[in-house]
Amino acid sequence: MADSRDPMFHPSMQRRTFLRALTAGTVVMALGGGAYVLADSEEERKARETPRPDGRPRLPPSQFLLKRLRPMGGEEGDPSPGGWRLKVHGEVDNPVTLDFAALLGMPQVDQECDVHCVTKWTVLGAHFTGVRVADLAALAKVRPSAHHVIFEAAYGYTSNVLLSEALAPNVLVAHHLEGSPLPRAHGAPVRALVPDLYFWKSAKWLTGIRFSRDDEPGYWETRGYSNHADPWKEERYA
Amino acid sequence: MPDESARPPARSAKRGNRIQWRALLRAVHRDVGYAAVGLTFVYAVSGLAVNHIAAWDPNFVNTTTTHELGAPLPTDDDAARTLVLGKLGIAETPREVFREGDELEMLFEHRTLHVSAPTGHVVDEQQQPRFFVRAANWLHLNRGKKAWTYFADSYAVGLLFLATSGLFMIAGKKGFFGRGVFFVAAGVAIPVVYLALVRG
Repeated sequence: MADSRDPMFHPSMQRRTFLRALTAGTVVMALGGGAYVLADSEEERKARETPRPDGRPRLPPSQFLLKRLRPMGGEEGDPSPGGWRLKVHGEVDNPVTLDFAALLGMPQVDQECDVHCVTKWTVLGAHFTGVRVADLAALAKVRPSAHHVIFEAAYGYTSNVLLSEALAPNVLVAHHLEGSPLPRAHGAPVRALVPDLYFWKSAKWLTGIRFSRDDEPGYWETRGYSNHADPWKEERYA
Repeated sequence: MPDESARPPARSAKRGNRIQWRALLRAVHRDVGYAAVGLTFVYAVSGLAVNHIAAWDPNFVNTTTTHELGAPLPTDDDAARTLVLGKLGIAETPREVFREGDELEMLFEHRTLHVSAPTGHVVDEQQQPRFFVRAANWLHLNRGKKAWTYFADSYAVGLLFLATSGLFMIAGKKGFFGRGVFFVAAGVAIPVVYLALVRG
Protein backbone atom coordinates (compact mmCIF):
# COMPACT_ATOMS: atom_id res chain seq x y z
CA MET A 1 0.00 0.00 0.00
CA ALA A 2 1.31 3.45 -0.84
CA ASP A 3 2.57 5.58 2.03
CA SER A 4 0.75 8.92 2.06
CA ARG A 5 3.85 10.52 3.60
CA ASP A 6 5.82 9.63 0.52
CA PRO A 7 6.82 12.90 -1.25
CA MET A 8 5.49 11.40 -4.44
CA PHE A 9 1.99 11.76 -3.05
CA HIS A 10 2.38 15.28 -1.68
CA PRO A 11 0.42 17.83 -3.68
CA SER A 12 2.68 20.23 -5.53
CA MET A 13 0.40 23.12 -4.50
CA GLN A 14 -2.06 23.44 -1.63
CA ARG A 15 -5.70 23.66 -2.72
CA ARG A 16 -6.15 27.02 -1.02
CA THR A 17 -3.04 28.45 -2.69
CA PHE A 18 -4.22 27.20 -6.04
CA LEU A 19 -7.65 28.78 -5.60
CA ARG A 20 -6.11 32.08 -4.52
CA ALA A 21 -3.85 32.14 -7.56
CA LEU A 22 -6.73 31.22 -9.83
CA THR A 23 -8.96 33.97 -8.41
CA ALA A 24 -6.22 36.59 -8.61
CA GLY A 25 -5.42 35.60 -12.20
CA THR A 26 -9.07 35.77 -13.19
CA VAL A 27 -9.50 39.23 -11.66
CA VAL A 28 -6.39 40.56 -13.37
CA MET A 29 -7.47 39.16 -16.72
CA ALA A 30 -10.99 40.53 -16.31
CA LEU A 31 -9.79 44.01 -15.34
CA GLY A 32 -7.23 44.09 -18.11
CA GLY A 33 -9.72 42.90 -20.68
CA GLY A 34 -12.33 45.33 -19.39
CA ALA A 35 -9.95 48.26 -19.70
CA TYR A 36 -9.07 47.15 -23.22
CA VAL A 37 -12.73 46.88 -24.18
CA LEU A 38 -13.53 50.28 -22.64
CA ALA A 39 -10.64 51.95 -24.43
CA ASP A 40 -11.67 50.42 -27.70
CA SER A 41 -15.35 51.14 -27.28
CA GLU A 42 -14.61 54.83 -26.65
CA GLU A 43 -12.78 55.09 -29.96
CA GLU A 44 -15.47 53.10 -31.69
CA ARG A 45 -18.25 55.23 -30.19
CA LYS A 46 -16.54 58.32 -31.53
CA ALA A 47 -16.19 56.72 -34.98
CA ARG A 48 -19.85 55.74 -34.97
CA GLU A 49 -20.91 59.28 -34.09
CA THR A 50 -18.70 60.93 -36.69
CA PRO A 51 -20.56 61.36 -39.97
CA ARG A 52 -18.89 60.97 -43.35
CA PRO A 53 -19.48 63.56 -46.07
CA ASP A 54 -22.32 61.36 -47.36
CA GLY A 55 -23.99 61.43 -43.92
CA ARG A 56 -23.32 57.82 -43.06
CA PRO A 57 -21.44 57.08 -39.85
CA ARG A 58 -17.73 56.61 -40.22
CA LEU A 59 -17.87 53.18 -38.55
CA PRO A 60 -20.49 50.92 -40.13
CA PRO A 61 -22.72 48.82 -37.89
CA SER A 62 -21.22 45.78 -36.11
CA GLN A 63 -17.67 46.76 -37.08
CA PHE A 64 -14.83 47.09 -34.57
CA LEU A 65 -11.56 48.95 -34.97
CA LEU A 66 -8.12 47.68 -35.76
CA LYS A 67 -5.00 49.77 -36.01
CA ARG A 68 -3.73 48.30 -39.27
CA LEU A 69 -4.82 46.12 -42.14
CA ARG A 70 -4.85 42.37 -41.82
CA PRO A 71 -3.75 40.37 -44.87
CA MET A 72 -6.73 37.93 -44.83
CA GLY A 73 -5.15 35.29 -47.04
CA GLY A 74 -5.82 34.57 -50.67
CA GLU A 75 -3.74 32.72 -53.20
CA GLU A 76 -0.60 34.79 -53.63
CA GLY A 77 0.14 36.15 -57.06
CA ASP A 78 3.55 37.11 -58.40
CA PRO A 79 4.79 40.17 -56.47
CA SER A 80 7.11 41.18 -59.31
CA PRO A 81 6.57 44.75 -60.51
CA GLY A 82 8.76 44.03 -63.56
CA GLY A 83 6.55 41.20 -64.74
CA TRP A 84 3.24 42.79 -63.76
CA ARG A 85 0.67 43.69 -66.41
CA LEU A 86 -2.82 45.12 -66.10
CA LYS A 87 -5.25 44.28 -68.86
CA VAL A 88 -8.09 46.77 -69.20
CA HIS A 89 -10.63 45.21 -71.53
CA GLY A 90 -14.19 44.07 -72.14
CA GLU A 91 -16.83 46.60 -73.18
CA VAL A 92 -14.27 49.19 -74.26
CA ASP A 93 -13.25 50.78 -77.55
CA ASN A 94 -9.58 51.00 -76.64
CA PRO A 95 -8.42 47.92 -74.73
CA VAL A 96 -5.03 48.53 -73.13
CA THR A 97 -2.40 46.57 -71.27
CA LEU A 98 -0.30 48.57 -68.83
CA ASP A 99 2.98 47.65 -67.21
CA PHE A 100 4.02 48.98 -63.83
CA ALA A 101 5.90 51.96 -65.25
CA ALA A 102 2.90 52.92 -67.38
CA LEU A 103 0.66 52.75 -64.33
CA LEU A 104 3.02 55.02 -62.41
CA GLY A 105 3.01 57.36 -65.42
CA MET A 106 -0.71 58.03 -65.01
CA PRO A 107 -2.13 60.68 -62.64
CA GLN A 108 -1.49 59.47 -59.10
CA VAL A 109 -3.88 59.83 -56.18
CA ASP A 110 -2.86 59.88 -52.52
CA GLN A 111 -5.82 59.20 -50.30
CA GLU A 112 -6.73 58.31 -46.78
CA CYS A 113 -9.75 56.08 -46.54
CA ASP A 114 -11.43 53.67 -44.16
CA VAL A 115 -11.36 49.97 -44.92
CA HIS A 116 -14.08 47.57 -43.79
CA CYS A 117 -13.64 43.81 -43.73
CA VAL A 118 -16.60 41.45 -43.79
CA THR A 119 -15.10 39.72 -40.73
CA LYS A 120 -16.08 42.93 -38.89
CA TRP A 121 -12.81 44.78 -38.51
CA THR A 122 -12.35 48.31 -39.76
CA VAL A 123 -9.20 50.35 -40.16
CA LEU A 124 -9.67 54.11 -40.18
CA GLY A 125 -7.51 56.37 -42.28
CA ALA A 126 -5.49 53.82 -44.24
CA HIS A 127 -3.22 55.66 -46.65
CA PHE A 128 -3.14 54.38 -50.23
CA THR A 129 -1.52 55.65 -53.40
CA GLY A 130 -2.69 54.61 -56.82
CA VAL A 131 -4.56 55.42 -60.01
CA ARG A 132 -8.29 56.01 -60.21
CA VAL A 133 -10.28 53.29 -61.96
CA ALA A 134 -12.20 56.17 -63.53
CA ASP A 135 -8.99 57.32 -65.25
CA LEU A 136 -8.32 53.80 -66.51
CA ALA A 137 -11.90 53.63 -67.75
CA ALA A 138 -11.42 56.91 -69.62
CA LEU A 139 -8.18 55.62 -71.13
CA ALA A 140 -9.89 52.46 -72.33
CA LYS A 141 -12.94 54.37 -73.58
CA VAL A 142 -15.65 52.36 -71.86
CA ARG A 143 -18.76 51.87 -73.94
CA PRO A 144 -22.18 52.96 -72.66
CA SER A 145 -23.22 49.29 -72.77
CA ALA A 146 -20.94 48.52 -69.77
CA HIS A 147 -22.70 48.35 -66.41
CA HIS A 148 -20.34 46.29 -64.30
CA VAL A 149 -16.65 46.05 -63.52
CA ILE A 150 -14.95 42.73 -62.89
CA PHE A 151 -11.63 42.91 -61.06
CA GLU A 152 -9.47 40.01 -62.21
CA ALA A 153 -6.64 38.74 -60.06
CA ALA A 154 -4.12 35.94 -59.68
CA TYR A 155 -5.31 32.36 -60.00
CA GLY A 156 -8.71 33.29 -61.33
CA TYR A 157 -9.93 35.34 -58.35
CA THR A 158 -12.54 37.89 -59.39
CA SER A 159 -14.81 40.38 -57.70
CA ASN A 160 -17.66 42.31 -59.26
CA VAL A 161 -18.60 45.93 -58.67
CA LEU A 162 -21.27 48.11 -60.24
CA LEU A 163 -19.73 50.44 -62.83
CA SER A 164 -21.26 53.47 -61.15
CA GLU A 165 -19.53 52.51 -57.89
CA ALA A 166 -16.23 51.53 -59.52
CA LEU A 167 -15.97 54.98 -61.09
CA ALA A 168 -16.21 56.74 -57.72
CA PRO A 169 -13.18 59.00 -57.14
CA ASN A 170 -11.97 56.94 -54.18
CA VAL A 171 -11.80 53.67 -56.13
CA LEU A 172 -8.19 53.00 -57.04
CA VAL A 173 -5.74 50.60 -58.48
CA ALA A 174 -3.33 50.92 -55.55
CA HIS A 175 0.40 50.25 -55.45
CA HIS A 176 1.47 51.93 -52.21
CA LEU A 177 0.19 51.51 -48.66
CA GLU A 178 1.24 53.85 -45.87
CA GLY A 179 3.88 55.39 -48.11
CA SER A 180 5.61 52.10 -48.89
CA PRO A 181 5.21 49.75 -51.82
CA LEU A 182 2.30 47.41 -51.27
CA PRO A 183 3.47 44.45 -49.13
CA ARG A 184 3.28 40.97 -50.61
CA ALA A 185 0.59 39.90 -48.17
CA HIS A 186 -1.58 42.81 -49.30
CA GLY A 187 -1.42 41.96 -52.98
CA ALA A 188 1.89 43.32 -54.29
CA PRO A 189 2.56 44.85 -56.61
CA VAL A 190 -0.96 46.18 -57.25
CA ARG A 191 -4.42 45.67 -55.78
CA ALA A 192 -7.85 47.13 -56.32
CA LEU A 193 -9.21 49.46 -53.66
CA VAL A 194 -12.97 49.91 -53.27
CA PRO A 195 -13.19 51.48 -49.82
CA ASP A 196 -16.97 51.77 -49.60
CA LEU A 197 -17.62 48.05 -50.06
CA TYR A 198 -16.45 45.14 -47.94
CA PHE A 199 -12.79 44.60 -48.58
CA TRP A 200 -13.01 41.30 -50.48
CA LYS A 201 -14.16 43.42 -53.43
CA SER A 202 -10.71 45.04 -53.41
CA ALA A 203 -8.97 42.23 -55.26
CA LYS A 204 -5.32 41.67 -54.37
CA TRP A 205 -2.67 40.73 -56.95
CA LEU A 206 -4.72 42.54 -59.58
CA THR A 207 -4.13 41.54 -63.20
CA GLY A 208 -7.14 42.86 -65.06
CA ILE A 209 -10.12 45.17 -65.10
CA ARG A 210 -12.92 43.98 -67.30
CA PHE A 211 -15.88 46.17 -68.13
CA SER A 212 -18.95 44.07 -68.63
CA ARG A 213 -22.46 44.42 -69.94
CA ASP A 214 -23.73 41.77 -67.53
CA ASP A 215 -23.03 41.15 -63.87
CA GLU A 216 -20.70 38.24 -63.10
CA PRO A 217 -20.56 37.30 -59.42
CA GLY A 218 -16.97 36.63 -58.40
CA TYR A 219 -15.09 34.23 -56.16
CA TRP A 220 -16.78 34.99 -52.84
CA GLU A 221 -20.04 36.11 -54.39
CA THR A 222 -20.52 32.60 -55.78
CA ARG A 223 -19.69 31.13 -52.36
CA GLY A 224 -22.53 32.63 -50.42
CA TYR A 225 -21.35 36.19 -49.89
CA SER A 226 -23.34 39.25 -50.86
CA ASN A 227 -23.23 40.36 -54.46
CA HIS A 228 -23.13 44.03 -53.49
CA ALA A 229 -21.37 44.08 -50.07
CA ASP A 230 -22.38 47.45 -48.62
CA PRO A 231 -20.94 47.66 -45.05
CA TRP A 232 -23.57 50.18 -43.91
CA LYS A 233 -26.36 47.79 -44.88
CA GLU A 234 -24.37 44.84 -43.50
CA GLU A 235 -24.62 43.08 -46.82
CA ARG A 236 -22.35 40.22 -45.81
CA TYR A 237 -24.13 37.17 -47.13
CA ALA A 238 -26.40 36.40 -50.04
CA MET B 1 -27.51 -35.10 -20.46
CA PRO B 2 -29.84 -33.48 -22.96
CA ASP B 3 -28.73 -33.23 -26.53
CA GLU B 4 -28.11 -29.49 -27.12
CA SER B 5 -27.77 -29.91 -30.83
CA ALA B 6 -31.31 -31.19 -30.95
CA ARG B 7 -32.74 -27.81 -29.83
CA PRO B 8 -34.19 -25.47 -32.44
CA PRO B 9 -31.42 -22.87 -33.11
CA ALA B 10 -33.66 -20.02 -34.30
CA ARG B 11 -33.27 -17.54 -31.42
CA SER B 12 -29.53 -17.93 -30.85
CA ALA B 13 -28.80 -17.82 -34.58
CA LYS B 14 -30.79 -14.60 -34.88
CA ARG B 15 -28.84 -13.05 -32.02
CA GLY B 16 -25.62 -14.34 -33.56
CA ASN B 17 -26.40 -12.67 -36.89
CA ARG B 18 -27.09 -9.37 -35.17
CA ILE B 19 -23.78 -9.51 -33.32
CA GLN B 20 -21.97 -10.28 -36.54
CA TRP B 21 -23.67 -7.37 -38.25
CA ARG B 22 -22.54 -4.93 -35.55
CA ALA B 23 -19.08 -6.45 -35.44
CA LEU B 24 -18.75 -5.96 -39.18
CA LEU B 25 -19.96 -2.37 -38.87
CA ARG B 26 -17.45 -1.68 -36.12
CA ALA B 27 -14.64 -3.22 -38.12
CA VAL B 28 -15.41 -1.16 -41.20
CA HIS B 29 -15.93 1.97 -39.08
CA ARG B 30 -12.57 1.37 -37.40
CA ASP B 31 -10.67 0.92 -40.66
CA VAL B 32 -12.33 3.83 -42.43
CA GLY B 33 -11.53 5.84 -39.30
CA TYR B 34 -7.87 4.90 -39.52
CA ALA B 35 -7.81 5.94 -43.16
CA ALA B 36 -9.47 9.26 -42.31
CA VAL B 37 -6.95 10.29 -39.64
CA GLY B 38 -4.51 12.05 -41.99
CA LEU B 39 -7.10 14.08 -43.85
CA THR B 40 -8.97 14.86 -40.63
CA PHE B 41 -5.84 16.51 -39.28
CA VAL B 42 -5.38 18.41 -42.53
CA TYR B 43 -8.96 19.68 -42.63
CA ALA B 44 -9.28 20.33 -38.90
CA VAL B 45 -6.01 22.23 -38.52
CA SER B 46 -6.71 24.23 -41.66
CA GLY B 47 -10.26 24.88 -40.48
CA LEU B 48 -9.01 26.29 -37.19
CA ALA B 49 -6.37 28.33 -38.99
CA VAL B 50 -8.69 29.86 -41.56
CA ASN B 51 -11.53 30.35 -39.07
CA HIS B 52 -9.31 32.86 -37.28
CA ILE B 53 -7.90 34.48 -40.38
CA ALA B 54 -8.74 37.94 -39.03
CA ALA B 55 -6.32 37.35 -36.17
CA TRP B 56 -3.35 35.99 -38.09
CA ASP B 57 -2.04 35.06 -41.51
CA PRO B 58 -2.51 31.29 -41.66
CA ASN B 59 -0.17 30.87 -44.62
CA PHE B 60 2.84 33.04 -43.85
CA VAL B 61 4.87 34.57 -41.08
CA ASN B 62 5.22 38.16 -42.27
CA THR B 63 7.96 40.36 -40.89
CA THR B 64 9.10 43.84 -41.82
CA THR B 65 12.40 45.31 -40.72
CA THR B 66 14.36 48.35 -41.84
CA HIS B 67 18.03 48.89 -42.58
CA GLU B 68 20.16 51.89 -43.46
CA LEU B 69 22.81 51.50 -46.15
CA GLY B 70 24.32 54.83 -45.18
CA ALA B 71 24.73 56.02 -48.75
CA PRO B 72 22.67 56.65 -51.87
CA LEU B 73 22.41 53.82 -54.39
CA PRO B 74 24.51 53.83 -57.55
CA THR B 75 22.50 54.57 -60.68
CA ASP B 76 23.60 51.31 -62.28
CA ASP B 77 21.31 48.44 -61.22
CA ASP B 78 24.07 45.81 -61.07
CA ALA B 79 26.21 48.04 -58.89
CA ALA B 80 23.21 48.82 -56.70
CA ARG B 81 22.41 45.13 -56.32
CA THR B 82 26.00 44.31 -55.36
CA LEU B 83 26.03 47.12 -52.82
CA VAL B 84 22.75 46.12 -51.19
CA LEU B 85 23.56 42.41 -51.04
CA GLY B 86 27.00 43.14 -49.63
CA LYS B 87 25.82 45.62 -47.01
CA LEU B 88 23.01 43.35 -45.82
CA GLY B 89 25.05 40.15 -46.07
CA ILE B 90 22.56 38.41 -48.34
CA ALA B 91 23.92 35.43 -50.29
CA GLU B 92 20.71 34.65 -52.18
CA THR B 93 20.52 35.88 -55.76
CA PRO B 94 17.50 38.13 -56.35
CA ARG B 95 15.15 36.94 -59.04
CA GLU B 96 14.36 40.49 -60.05
CA VAL B 97 15.77 43.96 -59.59
CA PHE B 98 13.31 46.64 -60.57
CA ARG B 99 13.89 50.38 -60.40
CA GLU B 100 11.16 52.92 -60.81
CA GLY B 101 12.00 56.51 -60.05
CA ASP B 102 13.64 56.74 -56.64
CA GLU B 103 12.67 53.23 -55.58
CA LEU B 104 14.56 50.04 -56.22
CA GLU B 105 12.93 46.72 -55.50
CA MET B 106 14.84 43.48 -55.14
CA LEU B 107 12.71 40.36 -55.17
CA PHE B 108 13.74 37.04 -53.66
CA GLU B 109 11.74 33.88 -53.24
CA HIS B 110 10.26 34.86 -49.88
CA ARG B 111 11.61 38.35 -49.43
CA THR B 112 11.38 41.79 -51.01
CA LEU B 113 13.76 44.66 -50.35
CA HIS B 114 12.33 48.10 -51.03
CA VAL B 115 15.28 50.48 -51.25
CA SER B 116 15.08 54.25 -51.40
CA ALA B 117 17.78 55.16 -53.91
CA PRO B 118 18.54 58.68 -52.62
CA THR B 119 18.74 57.77 -48.93
CA GLY B 120 19.72 54.10 -48.80
CA HIS B 121 16.79 53.35 -46.49
CA VAL B 122 15.70 49.72 -46.88
CA VAL B 123 12.37 48.18 -45.99
CA ASP B 124 13.01 44.46 -45.71
CA GLU B 125 9.80 42.50 -46.10
CA GLN B 126 9.97 38.78 -45.45
CA GLN B 127 7.27 36.22 -45.86
CA GLN B 128 8.07 32.73 -44.62
CA PRO B 129 5.52 30.03 -45.41
CA ARG B 130 4.10 28.13 -42.44
CA PHE B 131 5.19 24.60 -43.22
CA PHE B 132 2.23 22.39 -42.35
CA VAL B 133 -0.62 24.89 -42.10
CA ARG B 134 0.00 26.41 -45.51
CA ALA B 135 0.00 22.99 -47.15
CA ALA B 136 -3.14 22.06 -45.20
CA ASN B 137 -4.87 25.28 -46.29
CA TRP B 138 -3.88 24.66 -49.87
CA LEU B 139 -5.48 21.23 -49.73
CA HIS B 140 -8.50 22.33 -47.71
CA LEU B 141 -9.34 25.16 -50.08
CA ASN B 142 -8.65 22.82 -53.01
CA ARG B 143 -6.37 25.33 -54.68
CA GLY B 144 -4.96 22.66 -56.94
CA LYS B 145 -8.33 21.35 -58.17
CA LYS B 146 -7.79 18.38 -60.51
CA ALA B 147 -7.35 15.02 -58.74
CA TRP B 148 -7.68 16.51 -55.26
CA THR B 149 -11.39 17.03 -55.87
CA TYR B 150 -11.81 13.24 -56.00
CA PHE B 151 -9.82 12.70 -52.79
CA ALA B 152 -11.78 15.42 -51.03
CA ASP B 153 -15.09 13.99 -52.22
CA SER B 154 -14.05 10.50 -51.10
CA TYR B 155 -13.09 11.88 -47.70
CA ALA B 156 -16.44 13.65 -47.38
CA VAL B 157 -18.27 10.41 -48.24
CA GLY B 158 -16.06 8.63 -45.71
CA LEU B 159 -17.07 11.11 -43.03
CA LEU B 160 -20.72 10.58 -43.85
CA PHE B 161 -20.18 6.86 -43.48
CA LEU B 162 -18.36 7.30 -40.16
CA ALA B 163 -21.15 9.49 -38.81
CA THR B 164 -23.88 7.14 -39.94
CA SER B 165 -22.17 3.90 -38.94
CA GLY B 166 -21.23 5.44 -35.60
CA LEU B 167 -24.92 5.64 -34.74
CA PHE B 168 -25.38 1.88 -34.86
CA MET B 169 -22.10 0.49 -33.60
CA ILE B 170 -23.25 -0.12 -30.04
CA ALA B 171 -26.48 -1.62 -28.82
CA GLY B 172 -28.14 -1.10 -25.46
CA LYS B 173 -28.38 1.90 -23.16
CA LYS B 174 -25.12 3.40 -24.41
CA GLY B 175 -26.16 2.96 -28.03
CA PHE B 176 -28.12 5.28 -30.28
CA PHE B 177 -31.44 4.18 -28.84
CA GLY B 178 -30.13 4.68 -25.32
CA ARG B 179 -28.38 7.89 -24.45
CA GLY B 180 -27.00 8.30 -27.98
CA VAL B 181 -30.19 9.83 -29.26
CA PHE B 182 -29.84 12.72 -26.80
CA PHE B 183 -26.32 13.50 -27.94
CA VAL B 184 -27.34 13.29 -31.57
CA ALA B 185 -30.29 15.58 -30.88
CA ALA B 186 -27.99 18.07 -29.14
CA GLY B 187 -25.57 17.97 -32.07
CA VAL B 188 -28.36 18.62 -34.55
CA ALA B 189 -29.94 21.28 -32.35
CA ILE B 190 -26.79 23.41 -32.14
CA PRO B 191 -26.76 24.56 -35.79
CA VAL B 192 -30.56 24.71 -35.94
CA VAL B 193 -30.86 26.92 -32.85
CA TYR B 194 -27.91 29.03 -33.95
CA LEU B 195 -29.44 29.63 -37.37
CA ALA B 196 -32.81 30.43 -35.82
CA LEU B 197 -31.26 32.96 -33.44
CA VAL B 198 -28.77 34.56 -35.82
CA ARG B 199 -30.82 34.69 -38.99
CA GLY B 200 -34.10 35.39 -37.25
